[in-house]
Amino acid sequence: MSQNYLRTDLTTWEIGPYHGALPVPMRLKLQLDGEVIAHAEVETGFLHRGLEKACELHPWKSLVSYADHLDPEGAVFGEIVLTNAVEEIFGIPVPERAQCIRVILCELTRISSHLAYIVRMAKMAGSETIIHYVLRDRERVLDLFELLTGARFSINFLRYGGVRFDVTEGFIERVLELCELIRIRIKEYNDVFTYNHSFIKRSANIAPLSKELIRHCGITGPNARASGVCFDLRKTYYGKAYDRVEFEVPVGVGALGVVGDVHDRFIVRLKEVSQSIEILKQLVETIPSGEYCNLVDNKISRAIRGEAVSRVESSRGLLSCYVLADGKDTPARVQFTTSSMFNVKLIPYLISGVRIEDLPVVLASLDLSVAEADK
Amino acid sequence: MNTQGTWIVSWFDLVGLPKDLPHWVYTLVSLVCVYLFVVIPSAVLMSYLDRKLTADLQARIGPNRAGYAGVLQSIADFLKLLQKEPQFKWGLRENLWLVSHTMALYSTLAVLPLGSLALLVDTEMSAFLPFWATLVLALGTMLLGLTQASVPGWFGGIRVAAQTLAGSFPALIALVCAGVRAGSFKWSSLVHSQSFALWGWAAISNPFQTVAFFVFIISGLVILAIPPLDGGLSQSDIHGGVSSYLHGRRLSLFQMGRLYGFFFWCLITVVLFLGGWNLPESLVSHLREGESWIMLSFLELTCLLIKTFFLMLVVTWVARVNTRVRVDQITDFSWKVLSPFSLVALMGASLWAGWRAL
Repeated sequence: MSQNYLRTDLTTWEIGPYHGALPVPMRLKLQLDGEVIAHAEVETGFLHRGLEKACELHPWKSLVSYADHLDPEGAVFGEIVLTNAVEEIFGIPVPERAQCIRVILCELTRISSHLAYIVRMAKMAGSETIIHYVLRDRERVLDLFELLTGARFSINFLRYGGVRFDVTEGFIERVLELCELIRIRIKEYNDVFTYNHSFIKRSANIAPLSKELIRHCGITGPNARASGVCFDLRKTYYGKAYDRVEFEVPVGVGALGVVGDVHDRFIVRLKEVSQSIEILKQLVETIPSGEYCNLVDNKISRAIRGEAVSRVESSRGLLSCYVLADGKDTPARVQFTTSSMFNVKLIPYLISGVRIEDLPVVLASLDLSVAEADK
Repeated sequence: MNTQGTWIVSWFDLVGLPKDLPHWVYTLVSLVCVYLFVVIPSAVLMSYLDRKLTADLQARIGPNRAGYAGVLQSIADFLKLLQKEPQFKWGLRENLWLVSHTMALYSTLAVLPLGSLALLVDTEMSAFLPFWATLVLALGTMLLGLTQASVPGWFGGIRVAAQTLAGSFPALIALVCAGVRAGSFKWSSLVHSQSFALWGWAAISNPFQTVAFFVFIISGLVILAIPPLDGGLSQSDIHGGVSSYLHGRRLSLFQMGRLYGFFFWCLITVVLFLGGWNLPESLVSHLREGESWIMLSFLELTCLLIKTFFLMLVVTWVARVNTRVRVDQITDFSWKVLSPFSLVALMGASLWAGWRAL
C-alpha cells in the first residue's frame, strides 16, 4: 500500500452484523484515514448456535446431523471429522469402499465450496456475469449430492463405520461427466474473470498475507497455501483413500502480483478445483468393491471410555474434532477447531492499510464461514 | 424572433399548433412532448433491452411475467417504487437537492438534438450546455452525500464529484475536436459536416477523430458514473453511496435520471461522431421536395435513436462482462490516460483541419 496519501483525521465507521461489504455476519469497527483503513476491530458470535453443547446433549447416533451443520457449505467435512474421531474411540473399522465414497463426497464438496467462493468474489468485485455461470455449474454438483444422498445441502450421509447408502446407479458416470464439464468451464472462468484486466486490477497486490502472519494466526488451508506454505493434510496425514491417488498441491507464486495477495488466493482455489477433478477421476475408476458400511461392528459400546482427535483438510483449511466418551449415551465433550476461527483473527491485520473499496474483496478472498467460526 | 425561437416555431408547424401563443408556452409544450414521446419510451425500451440481453448473456431468462415476454417490466417496477413509503424523513436540504437535481438533469431536454427539424436550441454554444448540467448534477449529488452525515454518503458524494471532475476535462477536449472538424459547435453544423455513409462519420474520417470519439464516450461513462465505471455510486462497500438513502419515488427518480443521463450522452456522441441523424442525400432531397416534413423528421429521429440504442447496448455489453472499477483507478485512468489522448487528438485534429483548409 502506498504511503504517499493525504493524511486526515480518523473517522470511525462501524458496519455489520449485516452489510453488503461483509460476506458473513460479523461486526467491524473501522478507523478510517480518508478512504484507507487505519485500524480495525472484529466482533463475531452472531451465528453462535451452541453446536458443541448440542452435541453433548444428544445420543451418539444423532451427532452426525449436528456436525453436518458446522459449515453448511461443506457439510461432509464436519461429518467426516466427527465420525473419524468416534470410530477411533470405539474401534469401528471402516470398509475401503466406504472410505472411497467418503473421499469422493469430500472432493465434490470441495468443488462446490470453491465454486461458491468464486461467486462471492465476483459479487464483491462487482462482476455479475460470472456469478450466473458458476452458480449454473455448482447446481450440477448439488445434483450429484441429491442423486447419492437425497439432499442437496445438509446431506447427513455418513454413519459410524461407513456411509448410509451405496453409490446409486449411474453416479460414477455422472461424476466423470461433471469432471469433464468443470474442466472445460474453468477455462471459461479464466477467460471471463480470473485473467480479466479489471479483476486483476482489483485483486493483484491487494492485502498480501505474509508467512509470519500465517504462523502468528495459525492460518491453514488455501489461504496459507496461496502464500507459499505448502501444507495439505491430504498429503501429509489423512491417507485413508488419498494414498490411492496422485495429485498436486497448488501453492501461490504471485504470478500477477506479490505472493499471497487476493489474486493468489483466488487462483489457488481454482487450481484446487482442477486437482479435485483429478482426484475424483482416479477414485471413481478404481473404487473398490465390498461393503459400503460396516453394519456388523458399528455399535457404540458403553463399556468404552476414551478420547480422540481427528483432523481433515476441509475446503477452508484444517478442521479438527476432539471427542471425549465417558461411558454414557451421549458424548462428554465434542469440540471442533475450524480454520475460519483463525481466519477471523486475521482480519484486523490484513485489512489495515487497505482502501475501503477493497474491503469486500479482501474479506471475500479469505473464504470465511462464520457458521464454522461461531459454531 | 431569434434563431432559437425560429427553430421552435418551425418544429411546431409540423403538428399544426396555433402560431399566436406566447413563446414560453411553445417551449413548455415542446419540452413536455420531448420528455413524454422520446425520453420516456426510450428509457422503457432501453431498460427492457438491457435486462433481456443481459439475461441472455448470463444464461438466464430475464423478465418474462409482466406483459408479453416481460415487455412491461420497467413499468411494473416503476409502479412498485411509487407505492413504497419513504424510510427516512427528508428535510429541506434533501428536497432542495431533488429540485436542483431534476432541474439540472431535465434542463438538457431543451438542447436535445433530435433531428434537423427538431432542434429546440441550436446556438454556437449548444454542444457545451450538457456539461453545465452534468457538473451541477455532480455538485448537487456531492452536497446531498455530505448532508447525509454517514460514511456511505460522504464517500459516495465525494467519489461522484471526483469522477465528474476527472471525466469532464477529456470530454471537453474531445468535444472541441469534433468542433474543430465541423468548424462550429451548433448541432446542425456538427451533423451537417458528416454524412449518412460510414466513411462520412466524424469518428471514421481521420484517426484523431477516432481517438476523440473513444475518449468522449469513455469519459461520459466516467462523468455520469455508468457501469462499469460506476464505482462512485454502486460500490458494495458503501451500499451504493448517495443512493443508499433513496427509496421509493425518489429512488425511481434517481434511477430514471441516471438512465436519462446515459441515453443523453450516447445521443450526443452519435450526433458528434457517428453521423447523427443524417439520411441518404437522395432520400432527404426527395422528402424535402415533396414537403413531407413529418416523414423526414420521423426518419431522422429513428436513424438517430437506432444508433444511440446500439451504442448504449455496446456499452452495457462491455459493462456486463467486466468487473466494477475502483474509483481511484477510474480517476487515475481519466487523468493519466484519457486526458493525454484527448490532447493528442486535439492537436492532431487541429493540424488535420488546418491541412485540409489549405
